Amino acid sequence: MIRINLEKQLHSSGGEMQLQVALQIKQGEFVTIYGESGAGKTSILRMLAGLLQPERGLVEVNGKKWLDTANGTNLKPQQRKLGYVFQDYALFPNMTVRENLLFALEKHQPKDSVNEVVELMELNDMQHRYPATLSGGQRQRVALGRALVQKPEFLLLDEPLSALDESMRARLQDYILKVHQTFNLTTILVSHDVSEILRMSERMFVLKEGKIVQVGAPDAIFSDDSISGKFRLVGTITKIQQNGVVYIISVLAGVNLIKVVATAEEAATMATGDKVMVVSKAFNPLIKKL
Amino acid sequence: MNSFTGEITAIEQEESLSLISLRVGETPFTTIVIDTPDTAPYLRVGNTVQVLFKESEVLIGKDINNNSISLQNKIACTIKAIEQGKLLSKLELESNIGPVVSIITTNAVEQLQLKVANVVMAMVKTNEIMLAE
Amino acid sequence: MNWAPLILTFELALVTTIILLLISVPLAYWLAYSKLKIKPFIEAIVSMPLVLPPTVLGFYLLLAFSPSYFLGAFLQKWLHVKLVFSFAGLVVASVIYSLPFMVQPVQAGLRALPDSLREASYILGKSKVETLFRVLLPNIKGSVLTGVVLAFAHTIGEFGVVLMIGGSIPGRTRVASIAIYDEVESMNYSLANTYSLILFAVTFCILLSVYLINGGYVNRFWK
Repeated sequence: MIRINLEKQLHSSGGEMQLQVALQIKQGEFVTIYGESGAGKTSILRMLAGLLQPERGLVEVNGKKWLDTANGTNLKPQQRKLGYVFQDYALFPNMTVRENLLFALEKHQPKDSVNEVVELMELNDMQHRYPATLSGGQRQRVALGRALVQKPEFLLLDEPLSALDESMRARLQDYILKVHQTFNLTTILVSHDVSEILRMSERMFVLKEGKIVQVGAPDAIFSDDSISGKFRLVGTITKIQQNGVVYIISVLAGVNLIKVVATAEEAATMATGDKVMVVSKAFNPLIKKL
Repeated sequence: MNSFTGEITAIEQEESLSLISLRVGETPFTTIVIDTPDTAPYLRVGNTVQVLFKESEVLIGKDINNNSISLQNKIACTIKAIEQGKLLSKLELESNIGPVVSIITTNAVEQLQLKVANVVMAMVKTNEIMLAE
Repeated sequence: MNWAPLILTFELALVTTIILLLISVPLAYWLAYSKLKIKPFIEAIVSMPLVLPPTVLGFYLLLAFSPSYFLGAFLQKWLHVKLVFSFAGLVVASVIYSLPFMVQPVQAGLRALPDSLREASYILGKSKVETLFRVLLPNIKGSVLTGVVLAFAHTIGEFGVVLMIGGSIPGRTRVASIAIYDEVESMNYSLANTYSLILFAVTFCILLSVYLINGGYVNRFWK
């Protein structure tokens, strides 16, 4: 069980903001912190890792206090047993893939765990290459592997897949789910990708301007239950095209591209890149066995 | 999307399906949904809900006698404007319950010789109406 | 020809550079990452030698090192070190005078590295010192090299400070730049020319090698 209580005044580009959150995460859970950029998602992860100091707060991991401003407890980042995957991967450019992994070893920790990670993340072919020569997806695998060498119980992922294309994302999501299960991790993902969250996490916290405004299962939160249509897809608008008196809106939902007809008034409220929910009655779609 | 506020007048249930009767102003509507008062708490007689249906699901008829057609949802309207495209046309209609928009083929507009100020019946199939809280 | 001034010059440059390297890395590290309010003052002091006339610096150092004043008297009495008109004094003055040339490239190099590299190392349990030597410095080799070479070359080119502090004692403080001046004064143009040409060639080669290495020419050549 991880108990988190954090309060901090943040200076963001949009001005001052009071971050104030309380979260409880069960052992083995995969949760997401979802919110717009600037909502304070990354700040929460940084405070958990000890890279940023809250004004007031408590972080308790499996009964052990990492931070308690009430009595001055504050473990250094070095003392907090967690894995952290940075948005920019943070691989050391002066070391090969294998050296990056070896660097992560604790004193006296046998090298077996590096080999184990190499095996699990399928890094064998690229072990002796430098990060600069790897693709984004490969770097991400190395970064994830490096975070696992010390076998942490707690993994923090800061928008780890945001720089990757759709198909590469899907593969890396599989890797992340695999390590989450194999290592029996408690994982916190920061993301604003709806399909990613629906696919990966059991529970999500919606963060808005430093406050948690909603907690629940992602499908319940995203698929607005207040509407009776049963055929629902959540996706991103990729194209809005006028076609006579109507508009055709292309929506990418997961890996499927779907098209929806809309009126001019509806199209006027939307833009490419917007997150939308497509709803239909369950009576309309045809179903066909492949 | 056409959207009206209606009041639930009756609910008839068969396992997971419910046939909901509503009233928008004086106009009756019916819709069938895969929800029951147990799965969707807002389904209660007397509750106010949003009645939603897509423009392209609104059929248009001229000289419709109330008992000569299976469609349950019928709104008496006057045509306020017609925007004619090559294939599709958009009709803006005025009714007792407010504005209704219909998108039908331009062929249909020509065949029915629809003109502004014509009185028509706008109709929606029972399974095309969605409800929202 | 008397080689002593040239040898003395390179000795001074070498000793100064080694001492500067030891001082500048921690100082640049502190300047790059500290959030203390006093930082701008330290930065300004470190950069002063860039803009001050060398004679100003030399003059104050001369006063400070002089046995008639507190610091000089203290050093002479308790440590038996005499800094005026001595090689040791030249080293101290050169270190101060060339400090910004070493500190600034290293500080800029550290600042240019993404913070996540340091943070990733801390999260992996590594101390600040280990992070500095295994992660940060290896990734700013170019900046460190630039600092080393600039400090070395700048020390070779010193004149004003050396003249004020060291005078021109043959074999002890008479470095090449002073010797050139002296030879010109005594109308000995051919020797002045030899010294000058050697300094010119050496500093050019040093600077050229830096630009070649940092520009990647060497890497391209050897691959």
